[in-house]
Amino acid sequence: MNDYRLILFLLAALFSVWAVMARRLLTSAIMLALVSVTVSLIFFDYGAPWAGVFELSVCSGLITVLFISAVTLIREADEKNPENRARFHALPLALAAFAIASWFYLPAFFAELAAWARPGNGGGTIGLALWDMRRPDLLGQILMLAAGVFVIKSVFPRRNEK
Amino acid sequence: MDTGLLAYLIIPLFAAVVIPFAARNRPRLADVLANVTLLAGLANLAWLALRPSMIAGGFADIPGDALSLLLVAAIYLVALCVTFFSAWFLEEGLPNRQAYYSLILVSVAAMTGVVTTSDFFTLYVFVEVLAVTSFALITTDDSAGGIEGALKYFFLTFPASAMIIVGLSILMMTLGSLSYENLRIFMASDIPAGPVTFAAALLLLGFVIKSGVVPFHAWTPDAYQGAYAPVSAHLAGIVTKISGVYAIVKLATLLRFFDGRAAALSEMLMFLGLLSIAVGALAALRQTSFKRMLAFSSISQIGYIVLAAGLGTPLAIMGAVFHLFNHATFKTVLFLNSASLEKAAGTTDMDKLGGMEHPMPWTSWTSVIALLSTAGVPPLSGFWSKLLIILALWESGLRTYAVLALLFSVVTLAYFLIMQRKVFFGRKSAAAESASEVSAPLLTPVVLMSAVIVAAGLLFPYFYTYIRVVAERIIL
Amino acid sequence: MNSFAMEWYLIALIMFTGFYCMLVSRSIVRQLVGLEIVSKASMLALISAGALANNLVYAQALLITMIVIEVVVVAAGLALLVKNFRLHGAADIWKLDGLKG
Repeated sequence: MNDYRLILFLLAALFSVWAVMARRLLTSAIMLALVSVTVSLIFFDYGAPWAGVFELSVCSGLITVLFISAVTLIREADEKNPENRARFHALPLALAAFAIASWFYLPAFFAELAAWARPGNGGGTIGLALWDMRRPDLLGQILMLAAGVFVIKSVFPRRNEK
Repeated sequence: MDTGLLAYLIIPLFAAVVIPFAARNRPRLADVLANVTLLAGLANLAWLALRPSMIAGGFADIPGDALSLLLVAAIYLVALCVTFFSAWFLEEGLPNRQAYYSLILVSVAAMTGVVTTSDFFTLYVFVEVLAVTSFALITTDDSAGGIEGALKYFFLTFPASAMIIVGLSILMMTLGSLSYENLRIFMASDIPAGPVTFAAALLLLGFVIKSGVVPFHAWTPDAYQGAYAPVSAHLAGIVTKISGVYAIVKLATLLRFFDGRAAALSEMLMFLGLLSIAVGALAALRQTSFKRMLAFSSISQIGYIVLAAGLGTPLAIMGAVFHLFNHATFKTVLFLNSASLEKAAGTTDMDKLGGMEHPMPWTSWTSVIALLSTAGVPPLSGFWSKLLIILALWESGLRTYAVLALLFSVVTLAYFLIMQRKVFFGRKSAAAESASEVSAPLLTPVVLMSAVIVAAGLLFPYFYTYIRVVAERIIL
Repeated sequence: MNSFAMEWYLIALIMFTGFYCMLVSRSIVRQLVGLEIVSKASMLALISAGALANNLVYAQALLITMIVIEVVVVAAGLALLVKNFRLHGAADIWKLDGLKG
């Protein structure tokens, strides 16, 4: 694959490792946002602009805002109980071990999976794909948004002080 | 998508959205709206399926896939019992009363979506909606146990979803589409099935985690025990089944296990099923909390369904589907009764409860019926579904599996008899002295469900015809 | 080497990182971060598979729905976290061991 995409993938992996190993939760949240930006750039490189746009605006935007607000709310609790950092510092080691061990058989396995791929027709616009082929999913999305609203209403009810 | 049953999805969603506006000043209206919606749906379903002309014709005229109709009926029945019970159980000042009913209605809509879709990705979407509503429902009463159960459920369910997505992407890549029909046609043809089977294995793994099958059952006891009481009945009664076990049964029929096409998957499923039966039955023996014991009993019974699904022969599928329906009825009764016990006697610790039959006869007798049916005592419905499963195992030559399944059923029966004698029919304990029977409206749903259990057992020939139609339609 | 295999290998590494984070963390927010990483990896897998099969439009339609789901799930998780913090003053999952048996 082209070098640009390879670099982006490696950056995504790097940012995710950084997000896991960061001491402060705020750093983790920001690294997660950077992972989202990188993933969105990867989507653009694949030629999937709609995926890239959604990922950029929703994931790196909305979700980061949610995370940062939550992190600021629970900051005191987190600082009172610092975690055991040793297990996190072991991550690069564990990751390297996994990477080396799986280098011997995972890429071959995936290459074989790729050989079975059935080429599709790839045509059509996104609107057509969503409305014609995946209309029940739209109903699912509506249901999901309704569920989200009711979850927030249930978890943070407006208590009437009578 | 089975558009015939689409109304059963849209109407609860509509009611859920209307509730916050309609019930703004009169909280009780939320209860009424929820119950009326579910009752209307159930009445309509009963008319569709139980007309005398339909029964006389051997259920041949049931529209579409008869399995969807049966499961939608189970969904509405359990949800109606839970909402009816909640209407009298919820405390007056509960601030999120409307949100509670809206969430239950949305989860009913999501479950209807799960069982009527014919596409794997749509299945995934509706299962996610179901998971999100479930864990808000678990924490309705702000208890510490509820939050703990909900968090454990959260952090086990969503990684399973990631696995399902990876399976779906491989499926999309190697099969070309994500619909049930294409998978069925593919497996029926002679094309070597390698990667498709791998994708299906990932899907099965994800759904196995979501059903609470051993060894991924860590969240089940905590979620059932810590959840708000009527919500435990909702969860154990129908949600875990629809979000995990239904997909396993569906995949088992699509992958044509009975043809021996995906032998490794089939054997793995059967092994996990047997493991769940064993672990659930044995762990239930050591519990002191009634709810926790019920949770482990659920794990055991779901093991029977997964075992039968793994076998995949028509008789086994019939047993699996019938046991799914039956288990929904048993667990609803038992968890609603445990909520009643908690309300009346103040505890669900089985060491402290004794001789509950004297102050609470209705609760005790309905629990006894449900427990005996779970253990498989004739002529109750549980006996027939277990018999079908064990017969299917025996017929396929898997004598050891059949014998072990029967053995653990006997173990469960022995334990339930001992436990019943102590908790319901023994000497009256201190808790029993101060308890009194709960009010009639709280008893109505459990009496209704117990009647269904007894009727399903006595009218088994009719049920047999129905599930035979189901098996014919979904396997071939 | 086959580019698809390389991409999926790296995706597997990212997923390992996410799962490791979920297993090892005590704080609920960090576990949520791990869950997010796993989720991103699965989305990458979907688009990669779609690109290989020349079915990108279909894959994107699926992805849009997936992103909507993910937003609601993360919002629900964070809402639960904040509620837990308000009620019990802790965001530590190992402190929750009230249910035993």
